Amino acid sequence: MIFAAAALLLGAAPSRAQGAFHSSPASPVYREVTDETGRSVRIPQPLRRIVSLAPSLTETVYALGVQDRLVGDTEFCDYPPDAQKKTKVGGAINPSLEQIAALHPDLVLVTKGLNRLETVHALDNLGIPSYATDPHSVNDIIASSKKLADLLGVPDVGASVAAEMEHQLAALRQRLASSPAERVLFVVWHQPLISVGKHTFIADALRYAGAVSIVDAEQDWPQISLEEAARLQPDYLVFAASHSETAPPGLEALSTLPGWRILEAVTNRRYAVISDAVNRPAPRIVAAIEELARQLHPEAFVEKPENLNEKPAKEKMDKEKTEKDKNEKMPLPPVQPPHSAFSMLSGVLRSSDTVPGGRACAR
Amino acid sequence: MRPLTLRRLLLQCFALLLILFVVVVIAIKFGAVPVSLYALGRDLWNVLLHQRTNISSDYVLIIQNIRLPRILLGIIVGASLSVAGTSFQALLRNPLADPYVLGVSSGAGLGAILALILEPHLTLSPVFAALLTPLGAFLGAAATVAAVYFLGRREGQIDSTTLLLGGVITASFISAIIMFLMSTLTGNLRGLSFWLMGDLSTPLQKSVYWFLGIGFIAASGAIYTTASDLNLLLAGEKEAMHLGVDVPRIRLVVYIAASLLTGLAVSVSGAIGYVGLIVPHVMRLIFGSDHRTLLPTAAIGGAIAVVFADTLARTVVAPNELAVGAVTAVVGAPLFIYLLRRRLA
Repeated sequence: MIFAAAALLLGAAPSRAQGAFHSSPASPVYREVTDETGRSVRIPQPLRRIVSLAPSLTETVYALGVQDRLVGDTEFCDYPPDAQKKTKVGGAINPSLEQIAALHPDLVLVTKGLNRLETVHALDNLGIPSYATDPHSVNDIIASSKKLADLLGVPDVGASVAAEMEHQLAALRQRLASSPAERVLFVVWHQPLISVGKHTFIADALRYAGAVSIVDAEQDWPQISLEEAARLQPDYLVFAASHSETAPPGLEALSTLPGWRILEAVTNRRYAVISDAVNRPAPRIVAAIEELARQLHPEAFVEKPENLNEKPAKEKMDKEKTEKDKNEKMPLPPVQPPHSAFSMLSGVLRSSDTVPGGRACAR
Repeated sequence: MRPLTLRRLLLQCFALLLILFVVVVIAIKFGAVPVSLYALGRDLWNVLLHQRTNISSDYVLIIQNIRLPRILLGIIVGASLSVAGTSFQALLRNPLADPYVLGVSSGAGLGAILALILEPHLTLSPVFAALLTPLGAFLGAAATVAAVYFLGRREGQIDSTTLLLGGVITASFISAIIMFLMSTLTGNLRGLSFWLMGDLSTPLQKSVYWFLGIGFIAASGAIYTTASDLNLLLAGEKEAMHLGVDVPRIRLVVYIAASLLTGLAVSVSGAIGYVGLIVPHVMRLIFGSDHRTLLPTAAIGGAIAVVFADTLARTVVAPNELAVGAVTAVVGAPLFIYLLRRRLA
């Protein structure tokens, strides 16, 4: 009986797509584009209602100045603060499809590194177009922002955002020209220790900041043993801290964790803590890159040449001291409570290709 | 045991269907997007009268395209798992048998993952490619049942403690293989870890629903033809054979059909545990252990359980979603322990 009733209701919809498309009668124009994962997508023009399923995409939409058209985003979209006021459709991994559908979006923005393929398939089945980005380098992020700007009908803004990013990166490159790259370990998660693979945009961002990741993995989010980290002995540990995190234990806790003292960077407290913008492939990543460069290469940012007269050893001690002071104020990011869905899955999520813990959500 | 009459069976099924109907209405009403019962009734009325123009677009969007397909999937998956559980319990003569506890769901999951890995390397037409995952899940389920069956045999007899232990060990062994596969492979496997927990949130192609429905009816139909023989089998294999039951044939039919049901359910929804254990138990308490009654009532009961659990999964942390497998495990695992202890006492 129920079967019959349900089948009747399902069968009574010969044109499923009709209801799912929010096709305003004034705009029957469609545009066929290929997204960054190679999917061909039919997108209504102009785009009036957008839902973003990743914090980075939300930031990009704001950077392009088209936030008025953003009708929904995820619970992790916290930047700029105004993004928190948008209608929430759940998390990036497990958004509520019906909440998305109820917003009648013309387009849903997703990113391959964070969202699930199943979500994209589900949106396809509902007749809601989705556009996926897949940046693997800082240049990809710039190109990706430009393409999104083009898609949203603001190519001029996109060009100027891209030009500004390129300009800042060029200036940074010039500053760092004479500074040798520091060998760093980017800590995505500390228990277990998870870092970034060489094909991630984060590894590329490190290069722009005058750093090189000691991890050279093919996998995007490799789990590294402490032994391996000790063998490679990074000069610095790099952490990303979210401004929205509340009172996690300080970096001091790290040196008390069993085993971590075998890292010289831990015993010497050579930590760099930067904004979690580095986790998000959006225009703001350039600011995070500069932030890291300033901590790793303070000498390159010293404007007055007389400061350089001091002895290098003293300088280094000063540098460490300032970092220590800074670090005591800065919270240690990886100890934040992971997102609930993940804590349940923590066993399963050891997998290399899953973004571990709250970091995933921060992206 | 009172003699079974068709009238009584239909009456029992009708009562359960009424409960299922109420649960379905609850499932349609509640979700991340609020829907009023009045608007629901009005839209339903218009659908029945074929007055499409009067139907609100939100109804089409939310109810018809998202919630109903998901409820339908929950009904099929719940009924499949429950019938599979009932069959395994009869086949292995162990009331604690369940596709999840015996590791059959894990085996089906491994089969499905292997099929997903193989798929890009095979050149298949889209229709066959879509069937590859269910096929892999079925083969994985069948292989696991066989393995657990042989692990559970001691001196030619099935020993129920050894069987359960064998199932648990097999499940953890298979989970380890799945973990290994997932940590060595590159690609988008984030979805898999979600799916492994049991997940109904992904709407499927319409053809998959037909495939599932037909598979369910065929497999559970095949099991139902053996219902009275299963009753005799409960007394013991030798006893059943003396009473004229073709035990090897019955075993083969039930084994294949129950593996198929598990494989189908797992391939679309991952490992939703304990449904196949708890529901047959409850139905046995209410309606007795005659398989002619037990199989259909367990099917409807399983549908009720999964649709209800999924409604909880959708609404408890809305607009986020829990995995439905987590909800069934939270209720099912303590009940399993209770049943186990009562049996051992």
